[in-house]
Amino acid sequence: MIARKTWREVRFMTLVYLAILALMMVPAVLVWPDLYADLQRPSAMATAVGSMGDFLRRAMDALRNPDEDFAYLNYMALQLFFKGANVAGIAAAVLLGTGLFAREREAMTFEFLLSRPISRAAILWHKFWPCTLAIAIPIFVASLLAVPLSERIGFGLPIDRVLWCSLHNALFVLMVFLLTVLASIRCRVQAHAAFWVGGFVVVNLAIYFIPVVRLGSLFRLSDFDWYGPIMAGNRGPWQLFDVWHHEGLTSWLLLANLCLYLLAWRELRKAEL
Amino acid sequence: MSTAPAIVVRGLCRTFGTRTALAGLDLEVRPGELLGLIGPNGAGKSTLLRCLCGLVQPDRGEVRVLGIDPAREPVAVRRRVAYLPGETSVYQQMTGRQFLDFALGFYPQRQPDVLAELTAGFALPLERRVRTYSAGMKQKLAILATLGPDLDVYLLDEPDRALDATVRFFLRDVLRTLRNRGKTIVLSSHHLSEVESLADRTEFVVGGRIVPAQALARARERLAHRLRLRLAPGTALPAGLRLLQKESDDLLLVETDLPPLDALRLLPPQTLLGAELGVVRLEELYQQLLDASAEPQP
Repeated sequence: MIARKTWREVRFMTLVYLAILALMMVPAVLVWPDLYADLQRPSAMATAVGSMGDFLRRAMDALRNPDEDFAYLNYMALQLFFKGANVAGIAAAVLLGTGLFAREREAMTFEFLLSRPISRAAILWHKFWPCTLAIAIPIFVASLLAVPLSERIGFGLPIDRVLWCSLHNALFVLMVFLLTVLASIRCRVQAHAAFWVGGFVVVNLAIYFIPVVRLGSLFRLSDFDWYGPIMAGNRGPWQLFDVWHHEGLTSWLLLANLCLYLLAWRELRKAEL
Repeated sequence: MSTAPAIVVRGLCRTFGTRTALAGLDLEVRPGELLGLIGPNGAGKSTLLRCLCGLVQPDRGEVRVLGIDPAREPVAVRRRVAYLPGETSVYQQMTGRQFLDFALGFYPQRQPDVLAELTAGFALPLERRVRTYSAGMKQKLAILATLGPDLDVYLLDEPDRALDATVRFFLRDVLRTLRNRGKTIVLSSHHLSEVESLADRTEFVVGGRIVPAQALARARERLAHRLRLRLAPGTALPAGLRLLQKESDDLLLVETDLPPLDALRLLPPQTLLGAELGVVRLEELYQQLLDASAEPQP
């Protein structure tokens, strides 16, 4: 019942979110041939970008690689995941997550919901999984759509690498979603939950662009340095789940999601009306 | 039918920060009994009902609903207990029918005849979105969703909120039907006369406790000697009537030791334009009960 209701509420947002991801991806793909030609010339923009930090210089270097196929894979890592799915995904996660419980409180339906013959754990689960689908499916679909589109401009995107990147990206966005759910359980007003999570995301974004403290940013878990090697074929899927090395971040994201889910369950269990 | 109480509450305490909502409340409700709870705002009625269905955890005390502890097994209790929240809780974006299907979908058994009677009596436009409903219509929808399932106990927090007198009387008949079927009903309300005419028993909740019967009788007795008089301008109060409060130029609240009707005879003819006797204002009774509860116990 609750899952069906939740899905009914989020399905339109899912379509819009997918459309945004696709709209961001299509021009990014089509503009590549001209962009690559421009990148071969040393330009003032490249120098300026490079001064913002090593990571951007690395990205620019990868994009200017003499092997255009290799450069295109890095470009798609940057466009599809670092830019597209991160930005649109986090916006969708905040939009979906903040309303999950805080809106019920605002609309005074929280008491109605909690007084049904169903446990709070079940309420959380039936609200969580439709939103998870709403967040993850557009990331996978939009990324996979890039494969045939890339072929139209003469480039190949390995589906398996796209899927691994999509999985990591979906887990990252899901983590932001779960943080938002936590805020939604604790806050009485949806705008307050959005304020705290929005503030947290903006601070992390700001930290990301300061070279000295960049390592402390949440976005470090889902940036070009992460997706570039996978798309370029330098990091295999088994390495994503190697918990003993830096490359095994995907498994840590999975664990972080599990912990956040359990934390959300604990918060909801003791939540007052 | 089982003779064990349907609801047992012993020494129930609950505080929210510095505010005490329940201060050692004791209560027993027999199966098939319709109990009315009356009390001022903040007396603890809603907290009591929330404790009974496991929505609020008590700080201390014992609660058993149909033999089950709601704090330990809230879902088991809620499978047999329907609860109508005090604040109207309906999803605005749904149509009335969608909301009803959603709310009733949690329960395996329904009462088709009660649903049909309520649907016909309330005459709700179920195909319309709830956000277009008036406050009264939303309350009717919430009542439909609460009384529709076939359960053992119904906890209704101010079911008559936002309802006009005609609908309140209709609801009273439906509640009587449920009571006659052996359902246990606990309802809170601010309409004293209506609750007293409907309920098998009425309890007053003041300061987080049930008011003892003797204290209630004393308060009613005291109020029975109060009169609210509308007098012609310039009328002086005769001996035997004491002025308590001048509520407006011609409306006086007075007290007497005499039987009230005898006291009225003390007034000169044609000076009395109107009079209210006995417990006509609930807040006066609450104040009496609050004052009495503040007095040191013998």
